[in-house]
Amino acid sequence: MTLSRSQKRGLVGAGLLALILIAIGIAVSYFGSRYQLRIVYGAYVNLMVVLALQVFMGNARITNLSHSAFMGIGAYAAAICVTPVSMKAISLPSAPWGLNAFELDPVTSALIALILTGFIALLVGLFIVRLSGIGATIVSLAVLVIVHSLFLYRTDIFKGNQAFFGIPQLFTLTSAVILAVLMVFVVRGFRESRWGIALRASADDEVGASSMGVDFHRLRLIAWVLSGVLLAVAGVAYAYFLGTISARPFYFNHVFLTLAMLILGGMRTVTGAVLGTFLISFGLEWVRWLETGPELLGIDLPEVLGLSGVALGAVIVLTMALRPGGIMGDREIEELILRK
Amino acid sequence: MEYVAQQVMNALSFGAEYALLALGLAIVFSIMGLVNFAHGEIIAVGGYTMVAMVALALNNPLIVIAAAVLAATLASVSLERVAFRPVRYADPTTGLLTAFGVSIVLQNLFLLLVSPRPIAVTSLFFLEWPIDLGSIRISSLQLFEALTTVVVIVLMMLFLKRTALGLAMRAAALDFEMVRLTGIRANRVFAAAFMISGLLAGIACIFIMARRGSVDPHLGFDPVLKAFVACVVGGFGSLPGAVLGGFLLGAIEVAILVTLPQSLGGMTDAFVFGIVALLLIWRPEGILASRGEKGDKQ
Repeated sequence: MTLSRSQKRGLVGAGLLALILIAIGIAVSYFGSRYQLRIVYGAYVNLMVVLALQVFMGNARITNLSHSAFMGIGAYAAAICVTPVSMKAISLPSAPWGLNAFELDPVTSALIALILTGFIALLVGLFIVRLSGIGATIVSLAVLVIVHSLFLYRTDIFKGNQAFFGIPQLFTLTSAVILAVLMVFVVRGFRESRWGIALRASADDEVGASSMGVDFHRLRLIAWVLSGVLLAVAGVAYAYFLGTISARPFYFNHVFLTLAMLILGGMRTVTGAVLGTFLISFGLEWVRWLETGPELLGIDLPEVLGLSGVALGAVIVLTMALRPGGIMGDREIEELILRK
Repeated sequence: MEYVAQQVMNALSFGAEYALLALGLAIVFSIMGLVNFAHGEIIAVGGYTMVAMVALALNNPLIVIAAAVLAATLASVSLERVAFRPVRYADPTTGLLTAFGVSIVLQNLFLLLVSPRPIAVTSLFFLEWPIDLGSIRISSLQLFEALTTVVVIVLMMLFLKRTALGLAMRAAALDFEMVRLTGIRANRVFAAAFMISGLLAGIACIFIMARRGSVDPHLGFDPVLKAFVACVVGGFGSLPGAVLGGFLLGAIEVAILVTLPQSLGGMTDAFVFGIVALLLIWRPEGILASRGEKGDKQ
């Protein structure tokens, strides 16, 4: 298999991003406190979500609002498989279909989560890809609401807003960095693949691309399912690190947090996804500190809950008004360094 | 008989609420291609205005209602000026994300400046009393809601068909450049669209508040999500489609509520959206979507 010019450049770009991700990971694991480690782990999980989101949003250019739901499906599926039977006897005493009567090893559990999420994504995708862009966005929002109401309704399986606890804590920051680096290569690889290029062409000009023989419904479905599987990876990483999950982190707040990350960086590029995630993750820590009402320059600031929400919304609005392509626009990292 | 009549009234009042909101979304979308996610926050503005009026001891129901509708209308028009003007001619995705951001900002401002908890407003409960029609007993609120919606739709049709501005708005939905060439100011058309949209949201707000009796920052999320779905079902941007989709969704929702066993109560919306998904297989572009080929100048 020979690589095209853009694919070679894509490898260089993904490699550069990987170096940055590894460097941040090493720096934090040597110098960071426990609390900082947790924050950075969260940032890496969100990075995986944003990368997965970029696969569909960046290439098909259709806004997806259901991604946190798929992350949740992956997290819950893995959690149900991997939690020891003795633990499930306490946390899920009345689960149906013998869900509390078996346990699997972590790798099998993760694989089952990926396959299950991919399958559900395929079923949903069959609807989504047939709709026009805006219809697809609205339906994806409806999907988010349906999945969330399922999590809340079947408390015997998902525990609703209570914590699903007892998941073995298998992952460290190192595992998250490795997964994120792999995902950067997968996502960039998809972007520069035949499918990715054809999909981006159809997003620029649907009629033109169709006349060149691009079946954009099929390509959208491929991107959608790939995105779903990658979201499940993020969900598994989330569950395996924290050891407890609940329905709330997979709902609206997480949707717009990750969406703001992708938009700020620029949804058309993988570099944008990485940049936006880190800018917002660290910026938000600062805003959260302001939110608690600290003392600044001798002035005792009041406590302002909801400030982080306002800041995130403002990031989206300002990016759209001033620079609709996000910070990176159409440029990937290697284009800043290499000559054309 | 009485049971059937009550369920029909339920379906009509649900449908009326969705139709009012969907119409407001559709009129903005048809003209500027903006999917207005901030519509729900306009409803919340109406709700908080009621709280403010009651706090100012202006408890007269007419004042409360008028203030809420006025506030919703003004909020809608000012959002257009402040937030949506920079993305006026941008592609739909940019507009959609902007509106999404605006919605988040407003929701959190309510949280920050007012309160995350629901605040009770009881001054609209007088709208609700049982009416006996022969042997059938129905709720006055539902009757008001259905009648108001019919009147509003008729007035809007008259406005769109009989006035110059209405004509300009219908033309703008087809070809905005042409409308501008005839000397009509773009700003007026946009402002009128947002004014109507806000007015409809304000009217819907009254009925939502009369039924719920309290306001919180997420007041508008649920009804507006349904209104969006109604728009998608009817055909996004089509005004008759929005009304049809609204009433259809109301009917589906009541049918589900009636047939679903009590134990599945939390899953009503999931079933409603499931049925809608099936409708969309049959007609992906919505029931009353325009038949134009992709690539045609719309």
